[in-house]
Amino acid sequence: MKIGVYICECGPNIAEKVDIDEVIKAVKPLDNVAVVERFKLLCSQDGKQFLADQIKKHELTHLVVAACSPREHQQTFMDVCEQEGLNPYLFQLANIREQCAWITDDKKEATKKAIRLTKAAVARVQYHTPLEKQQIESNPDVLVIGGGIAGIQASLQLAGPERTIHLVEKTSSLGGLSQYYEKTFPDMKPCASFIKGLIETVKNNPHINVYTNTEIEEILGFFGNFEITVKQTTTPEATAAFEVGAVVVATGATPFNPEHISKYGYQKIENVITALDFEQMNLSGKITLKNGKPPKSVAIIHCVGREEKGYCSQICCMYSIKFIRYLQKKVPSTKITNFYTDLCIPGKSQQHFYEQSLGNHVDFIRMSDLQITKQSDKIQITYSNEKDASKKLSVDMVILSPVLEPTQGLSSIIESTRISQGEKGFLTEEHEKIAPVSTSTEGVFIAGCSHGPKSIEETMSQAEAVTGHILTSLIPGQKIEPEVKVSHISESFCIGCKTCLNVCCYGAITFDDLKKVSVVNEVICRGCGNCVAACPSGAITLKHFTHNQVYHEVKEAVQ
Amino acid sequence: MNKKEPFSDILVVGAGIAGIQASLMLSKAKKNVHLIEKTSYTGGASIKYEEVFSNMECSTCMLAPIQQQLLQDKNITLHTLSTIKGVKGSQGNYIVTIEKKARYVDMVNCIGCNACFDPCPVSVKNEFEEGLNERKAIFVPCAGALPNVPMIDTEHCLRFKNKKCTACQEACMFEAIDYNQKDETFDIKVGAIIVATGFSLFDTQKTPHYGYGTLDDVYTALEFERLYASNGPTEGTIQLKKGDSPKSAAIIHCVGRKEQGYCSSVCCLYSLKFTHYLTSKLPDIKIYNLYSDLCIPGKSHQKFYEKMKDAGTTLLRADAIKVEKKGKSMEITYTDENNKKTSITVDMVILAPALLPHPDTMGLAKTLDIAVDDHEFFKENDTTSSCVSSSKPGIYIVGCAQGPKNIQDSVTQASAAVGKILSSS
Repeated sequence: MKIGVYICECGPNIAEKVDIDEVIKAVKPLDNVAVVERFKLLCSQDGKQFLADQIKKHELTHLVVAACSPREHQQTFMDVCEQEGLNPYLFQLANIREQCAWITDDKKEATKKAIRLTKAAVARVQYHTPLEKQQIESNPDVLVIGGGIAGIQASLQLAGPERTIHLVEKTSSLGGLSQYYEKTFPDMKPCASFIKGLIETVKNNPHINVYTNTEIEEILGFFGNFEITVKQTTTPEATAAFEVGAVVVATGATPFNPEHISKYGYQKIENVITALDFEQMNLSGKITLKNGKPPKSVAIIHCVGREEKGYCSQICCMYSIKFIRYLQKKVPSTKITNFYTDLCIPGKSQQHFYEQSLGNHVDFIRMSDLQITKQSDKIQITYSNEKDASKKLSVDMVILSPVLEPTQGLSSIIESTRISQGEKGFLTEEHEKIAPVSTSTEGVFIAGCSHGPKSIEETMSQAEAVTGHILTSLIPGQKIEPEVKVSHISESFCIGCKTCLNVCCYGAITFDDLKKVSVVNEVICRGCGNCVAACPSGAITLKHFTHNQVYHEVKEAVQ
Repeated sequence: MNKKEPFSDILVVGAGIAGIQASLMLSKAKKNVHLIEKTSYTGGASIKYEEVFSNMECSTCMLAPIQQQLLQDKNITLHTLSTIKGVKGSQGNYIVTIEKKARYVDMVNCIGCNACFDPCPVSVKNEFEEGLNERKAIFVPCAGALPNVPMIDTEHCLRFKNKKCTACQEACMFEAIDYNQKDETFDIKVGAIIVATGFSLFDTQKTPHYGYGTLDDVYTALEFERLYASNGPTEGTIQLKKGDSPKSAAIIHCVGRKEQGYCSSVCCLYSLKFTHYLTSKLPDIKIYNLYSDLCIPGKSHQKFYEKMKDAGTTLLRADAIKVEKKGKSMEITYTDENNKKTSITVDMVILAPALLPHPDTMGLAKTLDIAVDDHEFFKENDTTSSCVSSSKPGIYIVGCAQGPKNIQDSVTQASAAVGKILSSS
């Protein structure tokens, strides 16, 4: 073993604050250290050339650089190693700038710590082993679960001569919830007819296989290589199997059923209907009461189920305002009263839409303590407003605007893909801000209302965002490079307690029932180290963070 | 007919979080990306925030790794201090003229040691810190800015005012200061353009009844973000202009909403976040949120709201708000939800202003020949789609350039634009 240790002066940054000669003196006598040198600026062109020459000249087997933060130049120095044919994982960086030179004016203290960190790096690097990048074949095809607008849009954008899409829909037809909407807010553009057009395009696309009345039976495998089994809901014994590289979960949402909240009178009082009932009535062409007559007065109740579910569905205020437009067009003389709590109309076009919907026959009342009761042939709404308690209003028709709930029956998808569900039942994204459509399982994506309640516009955005991720990571003919620093389980030390299976966030560990030991799938493992910490028998090591590496590094650092 | 071979490179305009996301994704698909950024740094508005709602993650911790990845990505060419001067061609074949201002500091030689700052004799207000502290004529906007390379502000540098100063050059050990750098103009050929130019804030001086600019301790949301930031002007100490800590604070929502005519969708949530900022530093502070309609859409935000309410804020539905000086403090008079005139007294007022398009939007729209809407945000071609296609094929609009939105939705739109580009190519 021949370790080369190189200390960067970083101009005056390290040279003036750390006594580099002292560091050299301390490192030189260490076992296996072949050479210790200082250099003005190792990250410069000259510096990199110097390191390359040194690796050759001294036939170094390991390299240690004492310089800046690994965030700055770890990759720079690993690249130098790679170019010189030295495995880049036989390298270790000691941060003596940010962690020594820049944090104190006391040169003695800085030097002392720089010596410790450099010695720790030398101790660690001796236990490094070469790690090699793997390459695995991948299948570019995609499974899309859910034939609503998100699933349709994702399928259309992904399908092509080199990529087949398997679009699986539980019900008998594509289109999802939005096929019932005559128009969309805020532009009142046609929706139902637009979706009909999209469905035709999907059906005519030779690269999209549509499976209706079909459910997911099983999803096995990992990013690039998933094996899918689906079954028909009509004849459960009819199954089909295919392979894909990625999975899109676009299972949508369903409106909250207000039947069990007695104050709304739904299913008990005639002419109390839900938003979806109203959309369908409007789409059929006529807005009428049960007796066939047009309503003279209509109340639209916002936020139905919000308190029960504990979140704002963000689209209910807007579609309630859209209902005003439907009513104004089909029954122009109707008096319309909106009962709301907080008007939630975020975005650049929504307020204008709201203002344009106001008129002589339209009222907005901020209410609380609402109660709906039958009053002969009319419906009575009792409520408190900002000034008075127990106000009353009689209307012919009540439209309830309920919150959106996640679609039920996802457990087989969730279990077999190992994605997670938040406390409200929506699927959980990899990162709330910067990774909203990917999940903790690589290659499994979420789009639309399965992720959370949202508008058609935002659903389309997410569907297209998913296609962006798939088109950039699953390229036909291109191999996938999994993480190098992954876990490994020693067969002889594993006691088969299965603790690791429970702590793995990625489903990378399975249990070999024959040998009674846990096994890591290195393609799925992301090297988080959870299993290493949890293993009671010390059978698991994380490559590049092995017990020996960490122990000897820490031992030197704290001596 | 002769069909032109489309250019495969992509231009991304704006290195905020949306632009960074789009660039990194395109690079992953082996596309060469030109990322141009008007300022000297990456990260846009998001790097000004100490923490982001609703999980209160440290914004720098979230962004620094992807900023660093961006700088090290070999498929991405970052042009800082750059703007678009002209565009020719059509989808697949755009020729874009870029003007790149001189930084006067060599990006390769500079190691970011900051030794050049101290000797500089010039001090001016730091725009990045909303003018809350000063910077030198050679500067980085804040500690941790990436790329960690300073620039020389030629408007204030003595040398560019015909005086003989070489203080920064003398202090630099790496021969990185180059007064002879010249502004450059060059053309790039790209197949598609993603516009991610972000937002600006409503000018709170236009609503004088909130006292901004006339009363000492009335802050805008961005000023308050910097006041709380650990790399900001006070290193995270929340203090009044005179230096003492506030005993009470009021956060006024919807500033400029009436004037702009839309709800910016993020203000209620970041105003609630400020409750956490205040209570984490000053546990005994009394906090009021004055709002009109609480807009907290989405699966996780109500829980966040409840958490903030528990942390200690009084939510007041208020209209006709007026802020005036009252002794050492300020009095806020308003009409409450029962239409009664009432008032509270506080030490600090934080205004949550509406998000506006970036001031360069109109100019850029003209150069790119793409449409804007009534509010002068870039206009999407079709609202039934994902809203990232502009009025011109091959040009995409993402993030707050398209309309006010949160980080999650900006990142989603950036990824959607990448999806559109790769799906059509």
